[in-house]
Amino acid sequence: MSDDHKHAPMVDEVSEFEILEIAVRELAIEKGLFTQEDHNTWTEYMHTLGPLPAARLVAKAWLDPEFKKLAVEDGVKASLEVGIDWVRTMPTRFGTPSDYCSFRVMEDTPTLKHVVVCTLCSCYPRPILGQSPEWYRTPNYRRRLVRWPRQVLSEFGLQLSEEVEVRVVDSNQKSRFVVLPVRPEGTEGWTEDQLTEIITRDCLIGVAVPKPGKTANDPRPVRKALKPYSH
Amino acid sequence: MSNKPIYDREHHVKKATGIGDPQCFAGEASPARFNVGDRVRVRDLPDLFYTRTQTYLRGTECTVSAVVYESPAAEDEAWDNTDQVEWFYSLVFRQSDLWPDYPQAFGGDTLETELPERWLESA
Amino acid sequence: MALINPEKIALDEEMRARNLENSPIGLLEEIRREGSCWEDLASKWKVDNPDPPWKIWLDATCEVLADKNCALPALERRWEEDDLSEELYQDVPFPERQLLALAHSMIRRGLIDEKELAARKKAVEKRLNMVDQKDGELDSVASCT
Repeated sequence: MSDDHKHAPMVDEVSEFEILEIAVRELAIEKGLFTQEDHNTWTEYMHTLGPLPAARLVAKAWLDPEFKKLAVEDGVKASLEVGIDWVRTMPTRFGTPSDYCSFRVMEDTPTLKHVVVCTLCSCYPRPILGQSPEWYRTPNYRRRLVRWPRQVLSEFGLQLSEEVEVRVVDSNQKSRFVVLPVRPEGTEGWTEDQLTEIITRDCLIGVAVPKPGKTANDPRPVRKALKPYSH
Repeated sequence: MSNKPIYDREHHVKKATGIGDPQCFAGEASPARFNVGDRVRVRDLPDLFYTRTQTYLRGTECTVSAVVYESPAAEDEAWDNTDQVEWFYSLVFRQSDLWPDYPQAFGGDTLETELPERWLESA
Repeated sequence: MALINPEKIALDEEMRARNLENSPIGLLEEIRREGSCWEDLASKWKVDNPDPPWKIWLDATCEVLADKNCALPALERRWEEDDLSEELYQDVPFPERQLLALAHSMIRRGLIDEKELAARKKAVEKRLNMVDQKDGELDSVASCT
């Protein structure tokens, strides 16, 4: 423990963007576009979201072949084991257009590598993986991943040999997907907690593979589209 | 006659709450026309108002990898029409069938996505 | 001779087809030029959270707008955000860009009015920068530090 007391770092400055966010929200509430109460409910729900439950699901699957079988066959049921109830979860309790209750876990093998995209919009398994990263939503990623998957993966630092089948999963209907990657070497005897740490969000989308010692996502430079996307 | 309440804008909420969507449509579709392993082709149907069947898939042959769930197709559901529930299939395409100039060195690469039955015909 | 960028024309046509007017909005242009982005604020104040604290409220706003009353459907908002991000707000980092795009969509759709938003912005700014003044002009403001 440090003995000189320091305040937690904070930004003591109000930015134009912060003001704009509040102004937009207040006006929308006054005009009845939504209520403060509904906004609070969503905010609380979003505070609970993150990639941890999906990481734990994969770690459990690595450790327990029976659980892996369940995860691949019935992702919604397997999610209950990591505390995610797709059906009764906030906020709608039946799935919104972006959070339908069909959840599929795509199992990689040494010769098959899945990677997920939503070419139409940005469908993402939010209840179990949190909010999508910005690059996932860009037209650039969505358009190029289906067409040039290996090029995009190598931009994420993932180069795969020609013996590996790259399978792009286009999440365009009611199923949401995460990737169950191959358990890496060097993790023998690890606990579920240790394994969970190396299963990053990017590993669960499929643009990275887990490695011992690697517990964070790499920064992703966002590339501007050269040709505008046609919806 | 459809037994859907005509003016009840909450009918979907009532139907899906506590059950889930697409789970709430289970049992409503006619028997699935295709099975896992079948070769099928994506039809090139007109889409006047709304679709979730990407242009890049149309006319291409693929293999059924899973029969996934029952649901109205997006083309109908976008207008709150849930009368025709059908099976959805997970389909695996060869990338070289989708993109003629896909690099031959990676001829084994594939793409998987889901489509409702109306978009498929036997290949 | 001026060069015409065919890609820009294609995008303009596409946005017109979707009824989104993509001409700049004065108020938002001002914020785009003068606002400090989180990246800069975070390094200036030596904090390491990757996102500004208001991001979660912005995300919630986007969700509730598409909820019950459905004032702004999610898919349409996302399309417009994509277009505006490639066009007007390409030099603004995320999530500031998402906020500008949302405000842009709401103004162009008539959900809020630019003048009204400008006035509200002033009021909010005054409130946030309010300090405890000894002359009693303002009531004392609770402090949490």
